Amino acid sequence: MRRMAMILALSVVAAASWPVSGHAEVDEATRQARWTELRDQIFGDRVVEDGAELLAIDAATRAEDAAIVPIKIRLGDGLSRRVSAVYLVIDDNPSPLAGHFTFGPAADPREIATRVRIDDYTYLHAVVETRDGKLYGIARFIKAAGGCSAPAGKDQALAIQRLGQMKMSFTGEPRLGEPYQAHLLISHPNSSGMQMDQLTRDYIPADFVRTVKITYNGAPVLTLESDISISEDPSLTFAFVPTAPSGEVSVEAEDSDNRHFVHSWPVKAEPGS
Amino acid sequence: MRWRDASIGAVLCLGVPPLAMAATPLTTTQIAPGIYLHAGVQAEATAANEDAIANVGFIVGDASVLVVDPGGSAREGEDLRAAIRQVTDRPIRYVVMTHVHPDHIFGAAAFKEDGPEFIGHAKLPGSLAQRGAFYLRNLRRELGEAADGSEVIVPTHLVATTEAFDLGERIVTIRAHGPAHTDTDLSLLDERTRTLFLGDLLFVERIPVIDGSVVGWLHELDSLADFTAARAVPGHGPVAVDWPAALVPERRYLQKVVDGTRLAIRQGIDIGEAPRHVAIDEQRDWLLFEAYHARNVTAAFKELEWE
Repeated sequence: MRRMAMILALSVVAAASWPVSGHAEVDEATRQARWTELRDQIFGDRVVEDGAELLAIDAATRAEDAAIVPIKIRLGDGLSRRVSAVYLVIDDNPSPLAGHFTFGPAADPREIATRVRIDDYTYLHAVVETRDGKLYGIARFIKAAGGCSAPAGKDQALAIQRLGQMKMSFTGEPRLGEPYQAHLLISHPNSSGMQMDQLTRDYIPADFVRTVKITYNGAPVLTLESDISISEDPSLTFAFVPTAPSGEVSVEAEDSDNRHFVHSWPVKAEPGS
Repeated sequence: MRWRDASIGAVLCLGVPPLAMAATPLTTTQIAPGIYLHAGVQAEATAANEDAIANVGFIVGDASVLVVDPGGSAREGEDLRAAIRQVTDRPIRYVVMTHVHPDHIFGAAAFKEDGPEFIGHAKLPGSLAQRGAFYLRNLRRELGEAADGSEVIVPTHLVATTEAFDLGERIVTIRAHGPAHTDTDLSLLDERTRTLFLGDLLFVERIPVIDGSVVGWLHELDSLADFTAARAVPGHGPVAVDWPAALVPERRYLQKVVDGTRLAIRQGIDIGEAPRHVAIDEQRDWLLFEAYHARNVTAAFKELEWE
């Protein structure tokens, strides 16, 4: 957590000094230099090995709505058995470290998905950390712009009324010992702090979901440390492995205003096939 | 007193930027007695079209003029103002911004010198606070110097339900709607000619844009359809259309988006995939489908996944 906060602070400083330029003019060398700088900030002098054969990022090359860009990270079987965490970095966002996903023993880590904001044409990096401390990274270029400063919220009144509500849906039927995919939504404006109040000329303060802890029957599944790069109404797709006929999956979320949101859903698993 | 007014007028004129002098009156059509409309081009905003992409116009009463909408840039607003002055010298007392979108509001700056009431939905100030600066930045990027003079004008008169405005023997009723196209939609009815101005609650030919609530929009259309009017003025499309027949294509599209998106959610199709599955047979029926349909499905998905 402390490291995350430090990285975020660094990122903000980096963003402030980052030259403002149209996406068309940024050349490949500049993009690589940007990644090198970010990699050093996040991982220090640790080596990030090429993970092209081991993991993948699924995302549209050109995003339809820069404020809601669906991203999926898939890990190959070999890597999924060794993974401890995934870092999602959006290089040219004002706060590039979009998410740090830490897997627990109840997780099936082969696939996670979320929705992010993208502020300018950028590389997206996913870096997997294994339990023995190795790092594997891949990159993907995304064409989208304006997602961070874009005004979120089509219906402001509803957004306020629904703040902190959660919704969980599942794919298929839960079976003991088999991965069960879940899709979590948390109603939250996840304000980026980059929208200006036209009347006061003040920026609307950032207000975002900072941590999401998911457990199954008390055992950690996934913890996400996130920030303003995650879209309004944060969305998280993940999988866990039910081990009891009658259990529950629980979510505990905390936002930047220290609000706490807690919710549980029963999971009644049948014997495996 | 008279000479003082004249000299104040002269001083104000000196302060008006040169582009105001260069205003070329918009071409307008009188669609009903005293109602003049200029048709927006069916395109995205560019420097060449000065963001004059929405239908804009004015209503002339016996005492004053009401503008709806003021246009997409200060330049278009100036040109609209010049068109008004070709028709009448009556004071411009009301400038209505039918909703928050840039192609409908940025012309308002051109009317500041008239000192009108700028009328907006009760939620418009909040929405402008969220979006105004972003929209203005985009306008400057898309239009370059053609955006000069454009600014966010905060409404001076808010409508929360329904309110009547008198232009002199001519009543215009303005109604605030629930979240639909946006969460700041107004419609206007000119009682004298039963002409219904719908802003972007009604798109004709150009694909509707969902930026409020698609379910809410269908709901608003249901109640609007019961309304008796001689003609309607859509925000985009021909400047006068049959009412309520002109609603049919939009309603069909929105309903297909709702039904298709609900089905996609039920089938576990994710938000990134859904645009390729939902209402794609509508493509041939709408201008700018490629530019907006996928966004519409994304917006509908975000709304409907909470059901």
